[in-house]
Amino acid sequence: MEEKVLDARGLKCPMPIVKSKKALQELLAGQVLKVIATDPGSVLDFQGWAKTNPSFQLVGQRNEKDETGRDLYVHLLARNG
Amino acid sequence: MANSQSKTEITVQELYERLYRPTEPGQWFLLDVRNEDEAKGWRVEGPAAVPYFHLPYFAFIDDPEAALATVPPGLGEAVVVCAKGSSSEFVAELLRDAGRPAVNVTGGMIAWGDFHVPLQVPLNPAQQGRYELWQFNRFGKGCLSYAVIAGGEAIVVDPSRFPALYEDFVKSRGARIVEVLETHVHADHLSGGAQLARRNQARYRVLNAHGAEPVLGMEIAPLDGDVEIRLGGAKGVTLSARALRTPGHTPGSTSYLVDDHYLLSGDTLFVQGVGRPDLGGHAEEWSRELFHSLKHVVAGLGDEVQVLPAHFGSYEEADRQGLVRGRLGTLRSNSPEFAITDPEEFVRTMKAGVKEAPAIYGEIIKANLGLVDPGEKAGEWELGKNECAATAAKRRAAQGRA
Repeated sequence: MEEKVLDARGLKCPMPIVKSKKALQELLAGQVLKVIATDPGSVLDFQGWAKTNPSFQLVGQRNEKDETGRDLYVHLLARNG
Repeated sequence: MANSQSKTEITVQELYERLYRPTEPGQWFLLDVRNEDEAKGWRVEGPAAVPYFHLPYFAFIDDPEAALATVPPGLGEAVVVCAKGSSSEFVAELLRDAGRPAVNVTGGMIAWGDFHVPLQVPLNPAQQGRYELWQFNRFGKGCLSYAVIAGGEAIVVDPSRFPALYEDFVKSRGARIVEVLETHVHADHLSGGAQLARRNQARYRVLNAHGAEPVLGMEIAPLDGDVEIRLGGAKGVTLSARALRTPGHTPGSTSYLVDDHYLLSGDTLFVQGVGRPDLGGHAEEWSRELFHSLKHVVAGLGDEVQVLPAHFGSYEEADRQGLVRGRLGTLRSNSPEFAITDPEEFVRTMKAGVKEAPAIYGEIIKANLGLVDPGEKAGEWELGKNECAATAAKRRAAQGRA
């Protein structure tokens, strides 16, 4: 599946969600938006946001590390309909 | 003052002061914009009767107009709070742009959880002037730490991970820190004890009577048996603090009896209830030890002893000044745990109250033993209120009264 990457590293809330909302609007059907964040608070925020916004689904979340060992929080979003 | 100049931010200190000030309806309210899971577990609370309203910040991104319409009018100024203070800043600005008064709590819940207020414990007339006793109330987390100051020397008990706070305070009282004591190896918050002792060349005492030895790169002074800690002798003022072994919450739990009158009880005894004995996975064994500590060690102390614990569960346990303390005699007659005379029943009651502990507690214990370093995650690890009190007997007593 085609992925579109949104680099939200170093961004404080609310910016990862503000930028994700814009990116979702430009997302094509069948594409997945991959949001890469460094804020651990984004994990629960994306879950909470997905529950209240019917326009997309949170299809996955995972933890990764960058080359320096810094924790990354990856959120995968897909548009509904 | 013109509207354009009114403030847009308040500090956690100002928030605390507001919560201890009489409040008229319609003056201000709390607007919590964190996600639901975070807001459910822990929030700003205090004696002021202010309305609390919760709406996550992403609702204000999805549909700002609808979100603003959901926030009830007529409640006065919105004091907006989130986890770290940046989403709430965004929401407060939206509110102000819509013509509604709003301020942001700078630093959010992390700053709220890190805020400490020093409050002086009033001494009995016989003790006044000989020494000072201060309680540092970490209000958001419900953690209490202490400084005892006599003759230019100070003991700090259960310091949080902000050593400068204690150093500056003790210095402002014209004293230096000579002893740093822990009542036990804490699970809910990161200790600053070893660091504070090292920075001030003070003696450090902590007892881990179960599991790994602390690896703190420093000498740890003994706590086994009855240790007497003397203070202020150089200036002709002497004060003694006696270490009493009170295992139960942890096998190494120690209470400090200052001047035979003030019991720094750690997590053994709270103003309401006792410490939970299940944080080490040995609820039965540790419950038995707690029963023994309450029935044999604490029982030997007089009713007039003032209990100064390491935690509180609700601001309702504090007096009107915000001090958390209790007369031992009153605690003994009010706590359901003291009413139980049979050790087996005590163990059963404690075990029935076993609840899941926050997952991070295991890591915090390791960090406090010097086995792991939380690094920049310290703030995240410490989010939330302490969960160190036992609940079973309290719940049972409440049902009994109902």
